[in-house]
Amino acid sequence: MSEEKKESIESESQEKPTPKPTPTKKPTLEKVNLPEFEKGLADKIVEKFGEKTKVAFVKPDRVRINVSKENVHDVAEFIRDELNFDHAESVSGVDYPQDKEIEVVYHIGSYTDSSLARQILVLATRAPREENPIPGNDATRLPSLRDIFYSVEFHEREVFEMLGVYFEGHPDNRRLLLPEDWADLPPLRKDFAIKGR
Amino acid sequence: MSVIAPKFKFSEFVKSILDNLFWFLLIFALIGLPLVQIILFYIEMPVIDGELLTPFLALTWLADPSRTLPILKSFMATDLFRIAAFPGFGFAALLAAGTIFVERKMLAKLQLRVGPFYCGKIEGILQLMGDGLKLISKEIIIPAKADKPIFWAAPVIFVGAAAAFIALIPVAPGWVVADVDVGLLAVFAVIGFFPIITILSAWSANSKFPFIGGIRALHQMVSFEIPLILSLLGVVILTGTLNLSEIAASQSNFPWIVFLPVGAIVFFITILAELERIPFDLPEAESEIVAGWLTELSGMMYGLVQLGTYLKLYAFAALFVVLFLGGWNGPMIWPPFPEEIITKGIEAGPITITIPGLPLFSQETLNGIVWFVIKTVGVIFFILLPRGVFPRIRIDMLLSLGWYKLIGLAFVNIFIALGLLYAGVLGPGGML
Amino acid sequence: MSAKLPPGLALQKVDERIMTLNVGPQHPGSGHMRIIVQIDGDFIVACDPDPGYVHRGEEKMAEYRNYILNIPHLERPVIHDSCNVLYPYVLGVEELLGIEVPERAKYIRVIASELNRCIYIMYWLAIYGIFLGHSTMFMWPAGDRELLIDLMEKMSGARVTHAHFVPGGVRNDLPPNFEDVCLRQVNYFEKRIKEYAAVFYDNPILIARTEKTGILSRQDAIRLGTTGSVLRASGVDYDLRKKEPYDVYDELDFQTPVLKEGDSYARSKIPWLDMMESCRIIRNALAKMPKSGSVRVKLKPNPKGGDDSVYKRVESGRGSLGCYIVSDKKPEPYRLKLSVGSFRNLIALPYLLKGEKLGNMPSVYWSLNYWPVEADR
Repeated sequence: MSEEKKESIESESQEKPTPKPTPTKKPTLEKVNLPEFEKGLADKIVEKFGEKTKVAFVKPDRVRINVSKENVHDVAEFIRDELNFDHAESVSGVDYPQDKEIEVVYHIGSYTDSSLARQILVLATRAPREENPIPGNDATRLPSLRDIFYSVEFHEREVFEMLGVYFEGHPDNRRLLLPEDWADLPPLRKDFAIKGR
Repeated sequence: MSVIAPKFKFSEFVKSILDNLFWFLLIFALIGLPLVQIILFYIEMPVIDGELLTPFLALTWLADPSRTLPILKSFMATDLFRIAAFPGFGFAALLAAGTIFVERKMLAKLQLRVGPFYCGKIEGILQLMGDGLKLISKEIIIPAKADKPIFWAAPVIFVGAAAAFIALIPVAPGWVVADVDVGLLAVFAVIGFFPIITILSAWSANSKFPFIGGIRALHQMVSFEIPLILSLLGVVILTGTLNLSEIAASQSNFPWIVFLPVGAIVFFITILAELERIPFDLPEAESEIVAGWLTELSGMMYGLVQLGTYLKLYAFAALFVVLFLGGWNGPMIWPPFPEEIITKGIEAGPITITIPGLPLFSQETLNGIVWFVIKTVGVIFFILLPRGVFPRIRIDMLLSLGWYKLIGLAFVNIFIALGLLYAGVLGPGGML
Repeated sequence: MSAKLPPGLALQKVDERIMTLNVGPQHPGSGHMRIIVQIDGDFIVACDPDPGYVHRGEEKMAEYRNYILNIPHLERPVIHDSCNVLYPYVLGVEELLGIEVPERAKYIRVIASELNRCIYIMYWLAIYGIFLGHSTMFMWPAGDRELLIDLMEKMSGARVTHAHFVPGGVRNDLPPNFEDVCLRQVNYFEKRIKEYAAVFYDNPILIARTEKTGILSRQDAIRLGTTGSVLRASGVDYDLRKKEPYDVYDELDFQTPVLKEGDSYARSKIPWLDMMESCRIIRNALAKMPKSGSVRVKLKPNPKGGDDSVYKRVESGRGSLGCYIVSDKKPEPYRLKLSVGSFRNLIALPYLLKGEKLGNMPSVYWSLNYWPVEADR
């Protein structure tokens, strides 16, 4: 990947963006202008799981937690039971070929708790990526969160077909949007190139 | 610019005339002469003014127009005319075509649009003809696994059954194709055919959506036939006859809807269900089962079913008129035929033309036809109206309506009729 | 790729008396999707929605285009609601680039968004009417929609795909005299939609057909993560315009209708009530809007985001519409994900249809406020 040298228009209101592909260091939580409520949420998770989780950022209304694939089930259960988040809005897969990893991002919200109505908790985890994927039969696997957040059922099916991440424990790992006879690469991977582009 | 076309040649003009002459003679020789001979030898001709009608005599119409009307009158007395033209198929098809036009325009007005507009100069009046031509010219596609003979036959039988229904309807005194003593029973028998045709067509198509539609039609028609029959029994009890002409004639003073409104309402609702009109169009419910039992029909097969449906619509509306609204009875509004034309003839300057055989219809007949048509059109209007107002109902609601409510109401109607009969108010030997 | 194919749409093994129906993709009552329905007599025993017939790979396409070129194609999923479907993307790009939008542009956006919501709901309502066999209810909304489409045409120049929102504001200022015309047409529109009650929402047959069918309880609505009108019809008062106000929604006076029944009737009534609130919002916004001022912040050519990700969401005609943008210091987004209301509501379909009658399938299906093209993206 060729790095762009030019600086784009930067936002002053945002805090320093952490390097996204591999968040190596914890964000500077002691910064003064961090929103209180969101920091409280992040602190609760860090308090419970300690080193297993990494708080990627705390922005107004958005908290992002990076978890390894072994702990994502436990963290999600904690988020549901202790923090009152009750549904997942979106499950997105992001392909990082240079890290040989595929990131799956859950955006989790709450309908029942009115104090959390604005909040979206971003739970990100990563699965190993293979160069020659065999969707469903390779090491690109993650535990399914369907037994915790029921609403991820179709979203996880979509991630499975679009990026080839098999969700263990998902009862219905079938194609959803793609044709039944699709035999190419999962289309949202970066090495699936659109012709002519 | 000359008036004559630039390529005009006198020789070609003569040639075109000779061409036309040649084709006329050829067709006359090949078709016209054999036709005359067939008529001479095989067809029994009527006797007019004491002499047998021969083709020679028929050709004298050209010389003597005054002979036309008696021949026409004798033709109108034949069964062929009754079946094909006046109280039968042609009359009904004309009313059905009018119904389709009115339905589309009326629905369009309800829905704030214009409806058919361009086909034909006036308000899209030729739209139906255009649709018919389109349907005729379309390819007929038969499903590969269909039971072909039955699938082919079903639309034809459907139209046939509808036409049989029409044959039983008396339009004016004496004007009915089949004046049978068990007319109402014959009506019930013909109505009983429709669900069978429907399920045969649906089943033979060997496709899922027509099959579901056929089953729905079967459920719907069978469960609504019972209240239909029961609701008409009140009229039969009061008139003491099953002959539709006599039932119509019995209402010269008051229509039966005055005494049997419950039966009329039940009958009207069952008409809607039997005709598969909205809100009872479940067998053709578009959003659920594509087009129901019509899904696999294409081209003119679909057109025939539509024709049969609208003939049926006319027949049911006419039956409602005959049974409840007094048939052809009504105050005399038709002006009497001017006597001078019969006795003196038409005087146009120096020439006086006397036309024997007038009038074609009696004043009573014409008046009866007018009243019958007015009432029928009114009933058809009320049958069409729910389409713009109601959504479709569900099959379980439909069945519970048919089996619980309408049958109960029909029995109430029968008890009203019996009460009136035994109280001596109405019926044979009653007060009124 | 010698990959072993994953199991296709494997249907359950069923016994003889159960019939499998393919409702769609060529079916008047399915839209661009297929619902595989298994029926036992008149009752649906299982249902498997199969979307994807209009999958166009919007998310993949977005990775190849820069932030400005993404505008026209991202509104294609719902062309009737094109402003709302573009809204979260525009908000997200603004956050990525750190742009502050002028006040007047925010009001114009709210007006356009509410007009688009009404346009979408009218189209939805028309199809809901014809799904129930009510042809008048198909024609009336389809005709009255034109009032608002004319307004949007005045505002943006296009009748359906407006491409009116850009990062930094809106493309054009309002035309002169727009406020008066808008007020007049919206008032007439509100008068018209109130007449729908007589012919449709108070119709006894409609009520008998849709009441107590396809009931989605409050717990299930939350658990399944449904959104928008489906959620609010089940008694959860959650509308992003109130809960997470974007642009100027926190300064406007409106309510979000909530019903408790959770049946198809309630689900079909919520959008209709929503339209009246939209009219209120439009009137309110027209009154409070600054009469003049800039409507757009000029961007640098080919703007680049930071090394960051944003998730923005708005309340569209079909519920919460989220846009997740991952940026990697390039002019194109590294990954763009649309989390759309239709896709989130679709999960409720198998639960609602199970045990329902076949005749209820169209009404329950369409009451989910589902737009097949949007769900497929």
